Parts: sequence; structure tokens; C-alpha cells
Amino acid sequence: MRSPVLDRVLADYQGIAAQLPGDADSRAERGRAAARLGELGWPSARDEQWRYTNLRALDRIGAFAPDTVALAAPALPEMPELPPALPGFERLIYVDGRLVSGRRASQSADASAGPLAAEWLPEQRLGWLCDMFATDTAQLAIAGEAAIEILFINSGRASPGAAYPRLQLRCEPGSQVRLIERHLGTAASASLVAMNLTIELAREAVLTHYRLQQYGRDTVFIDTLSAQLGECARYAVRSVAVGAGSARTSARVQLAGRGASLAWGGIAVGRGEQVHDISLKVEHEAPETGTEELFRGIADERSRVAFSGHIRIDGRAPGAQTRQSLRGLIEGASAEIDLRPRLEILTDDVRAQHGATTGRLDEDLLFYLLARGIDRPTARSLLKWAFLGDALREIDVPALRAEAERLAAGQLPDVPDLGALA
Amino acid sequence: MSEAQSPASTAAPATTAAVAAPLLEVRDLHARVGGQTVLKGVSLTVRAGEVHAIMGPNGSGKSTLAYVLAGRPGYEIISGSASFEGRDLLSLAPEERARAGLFLGFQYPVEIAGVNNAYLLKAALNAARRERGQSELDAFEFLALVRSKTQLMHIDESFLGRGVNEGFSGGEKKRNEILQMLVLEPKLALLDETDSGLDIDALKVVANGVNSLRSAARAIVLVTHYQRLLDYIVPDFVHVLARGRIARSGDRTLALELERRGYDWIDGQAAA
Repeated sequence: MRSPVLDRVLADYQGIAAQLPGDADSRAERGRAAARLGELGWPSARDEQWRYTNLRALDRIGAFAPDTVALAAPALPEMPELPPALPGFERLIYVDGRLVSGRRASQSADASAGPLAAEWLPEQRLGWLCDMFATDTAQLAIAGEAAIEILFINSGRASPGAAYPRLQLRCEPGSQVRLIERHLGTAASASLVAMNLTIELAREAVLTHYRLQQYGRDTVFIDTLSAQLGECARYAVRSVAVGAGSARTSARVQLAGRGASLAWGGIAVGRGEQVHDISLKVEHEAPETGTEELFRGIADERSRVAFSGHIRIDGRAPGAQTRQSLRGLIEGASAEIDLRPRLEILTDDVRAQHGATTGRLDEDLLFYLLARGIDRPTARSLLKWAFLGDALREIDVPALRAEAERLAAGQLPDVPDLGALA
Repeated sequence: MSEAQSPASTAAPATTAAVAAPLLEVRDLHARVGGQTVLKGVSLTVRAGEVHAIMGPNGSGKSTLAYVLAGRPGYEIISGSASFEGRDLLSLAPEERARAGLFLGFQYPVEIAGVNNAYLLKAALNAARRERGQSELDAFEFLALVRSKTQLMHIDESFLGRGVNEGFSGGEKKRNEILQMLVLEPKLALLDETDSGLDIDALKVVANGVNSLRSAARAIVLVTHYQRLLDYIVPDFVHVLARGRIARSGDRTLALELERRGYDWIDGQAAA
């Protein structure tokens, strides 16, 4: 079904296609992406999988084509400060969708193999948007041990334009990889960042993936992620989302090899009119696979936080184990939390635990703090802080955890003397 | 005002009463919770330097009285009054009551994982100090103060870095309540069943902590079901609460008599 915004997207694509980087193959790939999005149609709020996304924020995007200035002359913007480098981590920097610092491809990446083919699920269909317009793609194949930090900066330069960074990561057998992804920016006018991330973990590869999203409130962030895990591969995600006016994460993790496991830990804190919408689908396709999912969301003021956790265990996955703990805290009178756990089990031999609770601050805990003379706003913030604690503690890179704590506390008013809390 | 009395010494209530204005004055207080009227006309006068014990059978309204005075939400005042140093206590928010010098030691202290004990103590202490017009303590002064109190309460210093009451045993939680009280140095401590769930060693530690706070400038109200605590913290006055009213008041011999005769004795009188 056609929609005015989809028509604009396709028109913008036709207008800029010739200027986009890449060879004939990549042009064909972009064309296929445009065709797929056209077939699937633009997401609609009537669709359960997109109900909580702020689609109107996408309607308000003026131009879907990437910033041509940035395309022609990628450069590090005048940022007041980049986050301090983390010891031991190699840094890559994307600015407005262009890789401006760091390697584009690892030496072991086989360029002739082309990009990892991704077929997005219907709930990931905005992934096609990035595939159409992708401005820069880093392809990394990592063997052995590696620690990489990637900064995605939305510079907010004068010329309007959307940014489409893309990253393809392959962790070779037995590799041990730590990947930090940080999204930050100073965009002053409404702008779109749509990012695709495809991850492949080969046999016994271990990837710990830290994600800190702190875009400015004028950014609309569309984040599409697919990960495929081989035998005994382990994938851990530690995600903290506090930024952007509207953010949608559409993630899919396929546990394709025996013994593969996912540990997903996420925090989203909304204030003002922010919308954080996260959709995670985990597919157990092999025996003895495991999923551990933890989500903590706080919706303050008029914000909305949604998490959909769909775990599908098919007939090929006997001995699968899953544990899901989703908790939401509503602070604002007109705030909204929507937690949707969904277990789909197609085999008998499964151990599955799940729990999802949404509520307001515990009055007994609040009274305890008040009875110690702590003022009410501080007491409320302390309890919100405590609510996020178990997820924050999973971030095991100390300097990054401190950053994540600072970001989370920044969303909570009246937490004094943060250093003493940790 | 006289100087601090030695721990567990017998106070001289008559003398103190003659000079001190009431710290807490409760008059004909009626209150309900969950639609049920629990306090049906409680009157109580507590002066600085005094230790009062409020005893009574389960359901007599002991904890309700403590919660109403501390300002717990959900407790509705029907009539009567309570003043603290002459101020209308019932019109103050719970945090204002605490900063004014009222401390409630909880019967069931809550666990707050993710907020550590040291942080809570420091935030609470500095809130009280600001209220008194004193400067906030820096990290060094704070640690020195807390360290001496943890030793007194037989609490390992590592507790300070743990979440508030997180994974603490029942006895540890009660000792932590008293630790908080010692750091905050309230004018009036209202200790709700601080002795419940304590073994004899922990009871002695808790009593020792409470006694160390006894002074001519402060008052302590112990809410308890059992006489046992009063062997270690000797009260000046004992009140028996039954059916929402103070049915009988006396000195510590009343507690001993209660122990001998049981609550049925009072309950029968209150019903009559």
C-alpha cells in the first residue's frame, strides 16, 4: 500500500541514486532494496509490530536523501568534545553516515564476497531504507581478540539530510570481540539516522556488544540489527538508550548453531515527548540454544517506552532454555510503557521462564527514603536509579559503565553526587 | 538541660518533666487505615530526656501510631492532634518530620538494591544538617563519623558499600536501622518493634546502640510486644495500648506485671 511518505522516499531515491557511491552491483542492491520496501509498504500504526513507533516523526522528515555535502567531503565536525578514548579499544568514527576515521574493511574481509545478504523481517522493513541510501559501509571480519569502538556522530550541519551508516561484522571461529557502539550528536534540526547492522558469529565466537544511544532530541533514529550465531557462539548485548526524539530498534537474532546463546540486556529511559520502541525477535533454530533477556524501561513525563520480546523456539531446538525479565516503570501522568513478551514454542523439551511487570514506584520504598529526610524528587530519582541498577551493572568496561551511568542519571532529575551511588 | 545520662541509667522523669516542654504531644488521636479505625483516642506526652515504651497485643494499634506520627501515606487522621516541639506534626510531609528530628525505626526495613547504605546515610545526614543550619560534611568527616558508629553496632564497614539492606538478615536490618539513627541523631526516635526477630546477642548490640543515644536532649519511644527489650533499655514510662487507646500507663514495673499476667488482663479491662 502506497503512502505519501513512501512516495517521497522513493522519489528522493530516484533523485539521488546516480550520486550514491558504489559500483553496478551495489546499485543493483540498492534498487532491490527500494523494490522490497515498495512491496512491503510503509509501516502503519495499525500494524501491531509498529503500533508504538513514532511514525509521525518519520512523516516530518523533510528529506530522505543523504546530505550531499557530507557525501562529497566527509570530515570530522567541530565537536565540542568527543568522548575520551577507551584504553585498548580501536576507534572508528562515522559522521553523518560517512566513515571519516578508522578502517573501512579489515584485511581479512573478502571484498569479493560482497555484503552480507540481509533479508529483513516485516518488522525490520525500515532496514531497506538504509540499504537504499547507505552512504558508507564498514565491513569487518575479526579473528582472534579485538576491541572496537565505533562513534556514530550526527553533526547537525546546516544542509539537511539523512544519514545511513552501515556496519557488517563477522566474528571468525573462536574469536573474542568487544564492540562498543556510541550514537551521539548535536543535530539542531530534525534529522534522520537509519543504521543497519549485520552480525555473524562463527562457531565458538564470543561478541560483547555495548550500545549507548545519546542523540539529541531532534534526531529520529531507526536502528535495524540482524545477528546470526553459529555453534556455541555467544552474543551479549548491553544497550542503553536515552537519546533521540524517536527511536526504533528492530532486532533479530538467529540462534542457528547448537549451543549458541544470546544475553540481551537493555535500558531505555524516556523523558519529555521521547519515544523508545524496541522490537527484538529471537529465533531458536538449533538444540541447546539459550536466551536471556532483561529489559528495564522508565517512561517519565509524556514519553513512551515499548519493548516487544518475541522468542520463537522451533522444532529443531530441543533443550532450549530461555529467561525473560521485562520491567517497566511509569513516572509521568501521561507516560506510557508497553511490554510485550511473547513465547512461541514448537518443541516439547524447553525450559522457559518469563515475567513482565509494569508499575509505578513502590510507595513503601519511597516512604522509607522520605522517612530519612530525603526530599521527594531526590527519593524518586534514587529509586529510578536503583531500578536500572541490575542492567547497568552488566556493563563490564568500567569507563563505559561510568558513561552509561552518567547518561542514565542525566535522564533522572535530582540525583546528586552520582559518584557515591555506584 | 542537664548533661547526657549514662546508658541504661534510670532517668529522673519527675525532674525532667518539671523543666522541659513536651517534645511530642499527642491528643485524643483517632486514625484509620484501610477503612478501619485503629486509633481511637490516643493521648501521649513525651519530654526530652525520657524513654517511653508502648506495649500492647497484636492489632492494638502500636505500629499504626508509629506510622501515623511518621506520616506514612494511607493512614488517615480522623480527629485529634500531634505536635512536635510545638509544631503541628500532622501537617508536615514525612521528609519534613524526619528533618525536624523525628526518626522512625522500621519494623520491616525495606531493601533497596542499587542505592548503597553510605549514599543513603550521607544524603539523609546532610538533609538534616541543612535543616539545622549546619554545613554539609565532606567525605572524610562523614566516613570518620560513620566508622565509629558502625563499630558500636558491630557492623562490618563493607556493609556501607552494599545496597540498602540488600540481602541483609533480619538482625542486620535492625542493626542498620539503629546505625542510621545514631548517624542522624534525632530528637525523637520512634522504634517500631526493633527487637523482633533478634537473638539475644543482636538484642544487646541494638540496646547498647539505643542507650548510647540517650540524653537529656532526646527522647526515645520504643514500640514493642515483649518485655525482654526493656531489660536492656530501661524505660521511664510504660504505656499499654489496647483497642486503639492507651489503657494503662505506669513505670517499668507495669511491663513486668504485663509479662506475668499477659495482655488478656489489659484487654479485658479495655473492653469493659
